[in-house]
Amino acid sequence: MIAPFHYGSEYQMVDYTTNTHTFYLSAGLAATAKLRLNGLVTYNLAEGSLEEGILPEEEIFYNGVQVLAHQDFSFEEMSEYSNLDYELLRIAAGMEYQLTPQIMLTVDGELADLTDNEGYVFGNESGSFYMIRSGFRFNF
Amino acid sequence: MKRYVLMIAVALTLCAVSVGAQTDTTAFDRYSLWLGGHYTDFNDYAKKVGEYRLIDDNVFGEFRLDLLSRRGSTLFSLNGHFFDEKNILGQVNVTTGNRLAASFQYRSLVHQLGQDLLSNLAAREAINGAPGGKMLTHEILDPGADYNIHRQEVLSTFDVLLSERGNVHMVAAHRMILREGTDQSRSVSHCFSCHAESRTRQVQNTTHNLELGLQADLTEDKTIGYRFGYRQFKSDAPDAYAPYDDAKHPTAITNAGTEAEFDSRQAYEDTTLRVNALPQTEKMSHRVRFKGNLGKGRFSTALGYARTENQETDLSSDAVTGTINYSHPLGDQTRLVAKVYAARQEADDPFIDLPTYRAGRPGGAAFANLEFDYTRYSVIDRTHARATAEVIHRLNPRWTVSVLGGYEMIDRDDYPVADDGLQTKRFIGQIGARFRKGLNYSSRMKYRFEKTSDPFVSGRGLFEYPGVDSLARDWNGTGATFGFIFYHDREDLRYQAITTEPTDFHQFEWNSNWQATPKVGLSIGVRGFYDKNSDLDSLDVSHFSFIPNLNVNLTPSDKLAATVGYTYNHYKSRGPVSVALFDG
Repeated sequence: MIAPFHYGSEYQMVDYTTNTHTFYLSAGLAATAKLRLNGLVTYNLAEGSLEEGILPEEEIFYNGVQVLAHQDFSFEEMSEYSNLDYELLRIAAGMEYQLTPQIMLTVDGELADLTDNEGYVFGNESGSFYMIRSGFRFNF
Repeated sequence: MKRYVLMIAVALTLCAVSVGAQTDTTAFDRYSLWLGGHYTDFNDYAKKVGEYRLIDDNVFGEFRLDLLSRRGSTLFSLNGHFFDEKNILGQVNVTTGNRLAASFQYRSLVHQLGQDLLSNLAAREAINGAPGGKMLTHEILDPGADYNIHRQEVLSTFDVLLSERGNVHMVAAHRMILREGTDQSRSVSHCFSCHAESRTRQVQNTTHNLELGLQADLTEDKTIGYRFGYRQFKSDAPDAYAPYDDAKHPTAITNAGTEAEFDSRQAYEDTTLRVNALPQTEKMSHRVRFKGNLGKGRFSTALGYARTENQETDLSSDAVTGTINYSHPLGDQTRLVAKVYAARQEADDPFIDLPTYRAGRPGGAAFANLEFDYTRYSVIDRTHARATAEVIHRLNPRWTVSVLGGYEMIDRDDYPVADDGLQTKRFIGQIGARFRKGLNYSSRMKYRFEKTSDPFVSGRGLFEYPGVDSLARDWNGTGATFGFIFYHDREDLRYQAITTEPTDFHQFEWNSNWQATPKVGLSIGVRGFYDKNSDLDSLDVSHFSFIPNLNVNLTPSDKLAATVGYTYNHYKSRGPVSVALFDG
């Protein structure tokens, strides 16, 4: 008998599921005649996972003979590679203060924090940044 | 680039000043200038959280300029924001009644790209639990590389009244997109030691899109127009190359005595080749439009022709498209909207010239000097037609309902079999309703159903038969036997059509807006779909999506306003995961 090196293919039906939650809150307040405040909060939670496919290598027969019991077709880690689990929090706040009828002082800031609980194609992508900004607005 | 941007901006400004100087009856000017700066500080992995920012812990000067000016019927506006050297937005608009409308926009941004660690490309054969034999490895030749793309876009539009008689307008628009930077190039060597490599690739792509057209009124209710389009994409970056390993038979570690035999079975090995090449494309199009009144109704038609050519490979495709839309009142409260679309597309069929398999090797006619050349017939060759009719009826001042029916057909010439392509047919049904109660409450809902027969499937099967016997008997038509399965043979062993296209598709949408009090507004909705394909033997491919959302607007006083919202997005798809099984 010719050694049958190739035994065709096997498959499993699997589910890929993603769930994302997005929450946001924004507000603006005219605190005084000269002072205005604003703020923004957004929160994202995203999860994705592929169901593990278990391939029946123990049940592969050729001409009635079990042929691949000695091979280890292990694919547990394959499904894990598709898992996603990250959170993104953004907070921004700012103020405008009217110095004169034509000139305003502005100060605002932003904070963003990303937590990656799985590490996907690009590795662990957890990171954060903050930004502080200030300037003067001239209206004519 | 900067000189080009500056020239157009100055030209538009001078144009506005000269036209605006003609009249001065209702003049006003408003200016707003913001001058300042920002400081940004990044921690840990910054390319995801700061995907569209410069990753630089530094202080940057920043300014905004907004200008609005009016002289008579001429309106001029200028808006600009310089965030940093890579993130810039500038817009100039001029309109002079019906005589001239011109705009110019420059937009610049940076896109940070991560580095694929290729960590999924690591596997090793295991026998009885012990690692050994063949393996798949990877190597990143530029670890920690900083990939990013600087994208710049310039858009200019003009609409000039050439003649008041016939309302003759000339329109012109030009868009240029420039992408410069670096990204990741990947290549994989085959056989013995499957080896994936990645390296830095230079990116310098330019897209030009130009449109020129004329439009005129033939009569009071008939308008005709013509538009010429030209699009070009090219890459000026140096070509990327990758070396491919010296191929060795998986069971012959040293290659000794087997090299000539094994090399003769490869299309390429032990060489350096160009990889990740981009096409150099050029597209020209012509489009004629005609619209007007017909009886009590109104129609619009368009006829177009487009030719796209890959100048590097000398391959091209042609498309002829036509549309007719007609709206007709069936009564005081009822309207019919009918739409017909038809297209014919054809593309060149490239000949794939492969090296002769086992050229000059011994083994007799059955196994040596085999040709696997073939013509790759394009799936684009097709006739596509779609017709829909929708009846919209207003029941009363509050309720409006609609019913839509349609039919779509895609007749492919050559896919998956030459001269015997798939013909996809689709029936479309949709019902909708709108409800409005005064200004405080409105709601709309829609349900759509599509039934498809013979949707597009992969021409090459997903699974493989264990076909060593059948192939050995039929090898090269000689009845000879041979003890191996070659990679080329596996094409003949594949079966099972597979697709992500559904046969049944259901879509639902509902949303509602309610102004509960002058201080509280509520918006709530849900949309989703479910589709499945039950025609693929035991493979019940399906998709399900469910997206509810809630939004609340609060204005408790004239000094405070707030918005709070939540959206949930659930998506599930079901499909097969398949692997080929070997032993040695």
